[in-house]
Amino acid sequence: MTYQKPRKAILSKEQLEYFQQSNTHKEIVSYVETLNESVVGSKLTDDCSTSKGVTTVLELLDEIEKIAEETPPVDNAASRFGNPAFRTFYDKVSEKSASLHAALPGLPAETIPEISVYFDEAWGSRTRIDYGSGMELNFLCWLFCLERLGVLLESDHKAIVLRIFWRYIKIMRILQSTYWLEPAGSHGVWGLDDYHFLPFLYGSAQLRGHKYIKPKAIHDAEIVEEYSQYYMYFACIEFINSIKTASLRWHSPMLDDISAVKTWDKVNSGMIKMYLAEVLGKLPVIQHFLFGSILTYDGPELPKTDASEDDAHRGHAHAHPDLGGAGQREVGWGDCCGIPVPSVFASAAANAKTAEGGFKVAGPGIRPVPFD
Amino acid sequence: MSDLDRQIEQLTRCEPISEEQVKRLCMKAREILIEEGNVQVVDAPVTICGDIHGQFFDLMELFKMGGFCPDTNYLFMGDFVDRGFYSVETFLLLLALKVRYPERITLIRGNHESRQITQVYGFYDECQRKYGSSNVWRWCCEVFDYLALGAVVDGRVFCVHGGLSPNLQGIDQIRAIDRKQEVPHDGPMCDLLWSDPDDIQGWGLSPRGAGFLFGADITKTFAHNNAIDLIARAHQLAMEGFKLMFDQTIVTVWSAPNYCYRCGNVASILELDEHLAQEYKVFSHATVGAVVSFNSVVRFSMTRLSRGIRHRRQTPAFHFTFISSPFISFKFHFGPSKFLDPFMVLGGG
Repeated sequence: MTYQKPRKAILSKEQLEYFQQSNTHKEIVSYVETLNESVVGSKLTDDCSTSKGVTTVLELLDEIEKIAEETPPVDNAASRFGNPAFRTFYDKVSEKSASLHAALPGLPAETIPEISVYFDEAWGSRTRIDYGSGMELNFLCWLFCLERLGVLLESDHKAIVLRIFWRYIKIMRILQSTYWLEPAGSHGVWGLDDYHFLPFLYGSAQLRGHKYIKPKAIHDAEIVEEYSQYYMYFACIEFINSIKTASLRWHSPMLDDISAVKTWDKVNSGMIKMYLAEVLGKLPVIQHFLFGSILTYDGPELPKTDASEDDAHRGHAHAHPDLGGAGQREVGWGDCCGIPVPSVFASAAANAKTAEGGFKVAGPGIRPVPFD
Repeated sequence: MSDLDRQIEQLTRCEPISEEQVKRLCMKAREILIEEGNVQVVDAPVTICGDIHGQFFDLMELFKMGGFCPDTNYLFMGDFVDRGFYSVETFLLLLALKVRYPERITLIRGNHESRQITQVYGFYDECQRKYGSSNVWRWCCEVFDYLALGAVVDGRVFCVHGGLSPNLQGIDQIRAIDRKQEVPHDGPMCDLLWSDPDDIQGWGLSPRGAGFLFGADITKTFAHNNAIDLIARAHQLAMEGFKLMFDQTIVTVWSAPNYCYRCGNVASILELDEHLAQEYKVFSHATVGAVVSFNSVVRFSMTRLSRGIRHRRQTPAFHFTFISSPFISFKFHFGPSKFLDPFMVLGGG
């Protein structure tokens, strides 16, 4: 088996559909579900069996936190695109990444260039200084790879969620508040959270079957405070309440809705369905999914362009037949990247090679969904 | 009282109007907007506003400070929808005011007034929730296609949501664009709605993945060639409510205080008097609930002649804000919860 530097491969709706039928997709979903089952009824404070791999990964995460501590935010006149010190943090992580990985027990050296990319890309986007569920997914992929390569064991599942993943979330909270990471692709009040998804998923698994705490308890400040030390779900609610003004009903109507669900079982199964639809099934997220030799992609390829893979403007040709009926999402707009775009435009753009600004913008056709 | 006045009154209370009323309002709005140019010609005095993003009660704060329409002339530079809780009420109120007082209020298009973007950032979901179908979203998107791309106040202040385009040297070239379409992925129309000024030379790639970054040289050349004193734009959060750049040739006006309920920023509006003197009025977010809020309003004013910023502190005013819970006004409007129905989750936009 030859290892390879992971790359992005998906840009069109057809490719996304292929991905959703693929073995890689199946493995990721099954990993999410397995980890989910492993923490049903568990508290963050519970003892769990931890292999040498878990301990080493936790030490590695300590190093990341240390890098963040050593990289304070800088004076930022721009005020919009997060704090530029994040780029320094990112570069330091990338620089140390290989040597940190070398400490992981039983990890073959030749795999490091591949799996370290998932790790490096789990902290946020260097270009945009933002963070979203796509980066959270990279961290999950990294854990998946470590388990596949034997660093983490099946018996570690509970510790992977309650120790490693939760540690990661806590570091992310530090990074988000230190560098003002923008929420990537934020749905505003209409999302679950500005940044995260999985802590709600695993958090609801922890609470499945709980004798007296019900989903509506998120409205009770005392319960939230008391139980945030035991359950990720409450810790996340507490965090949101701490950074947002006004009530949860206003800034987080999704979480408010979910609190009306009767049981944590239903919340948990809903979270999994939602994860499949809103994260693994959405092009704005999956266009950034990284494929390598472990998480493979063998579906239809992107036509070649002269733009670099890391270019935010990466794109490829993709003309649509004009279906007519302006303004109709259902019929009038070619569905591009899972996002309808006007067909005239796509075909016009398909002819364009370079922008008149004098540099290439990856030319023809569709592009990743822009960030705002 | 006409139906339209009643609808304005209802929307001002943050109560959505019926689907049928939305349909008629959108049709009327299109009839008015289709007659407007790509670059609307506006007379001073006028009050220029930036992004609102569905923050309805903050829009009310804005009106309280700037005066209500039609007493004050307004120019809104786009991004009415997405992210906030009340995109529907916000956009429909502005649209109803536009239909009722077409000469008193100008609405130009922001990058969020787009089918693609609203499906990702919340407006589509909100329409689904509040009306149980995507009709309202569809009709609003059809109106979006007719919104002007920019405006010029007295021939001297150019207003646009995002910024400049490497494909456009003159304002006249904007007039040649066929704007009645979804916001394209690239080209001049896209750039006007997506670009940002930045401390660079010339043009740069935008980290947003659409539009460009443009420097002081580009801005000054554009202003000079078009005999413009100031470019007013929105599109970027300014913690202090507004941000002047490049020797005051360009200003970012941001009108969504405490953006996304967490940024802690203040907002502003730019009042241009009949001589085009600029006054920036800064405001903070609405305090919701039966609370007496102590809302201190600081005014910054700047005249073109002095080229300096004059600070004038206004006596803090008491505002009584008494706003009912969204669930009282929404209980008849919310469709089935998206979360409770897994089929809606799976099919959700």
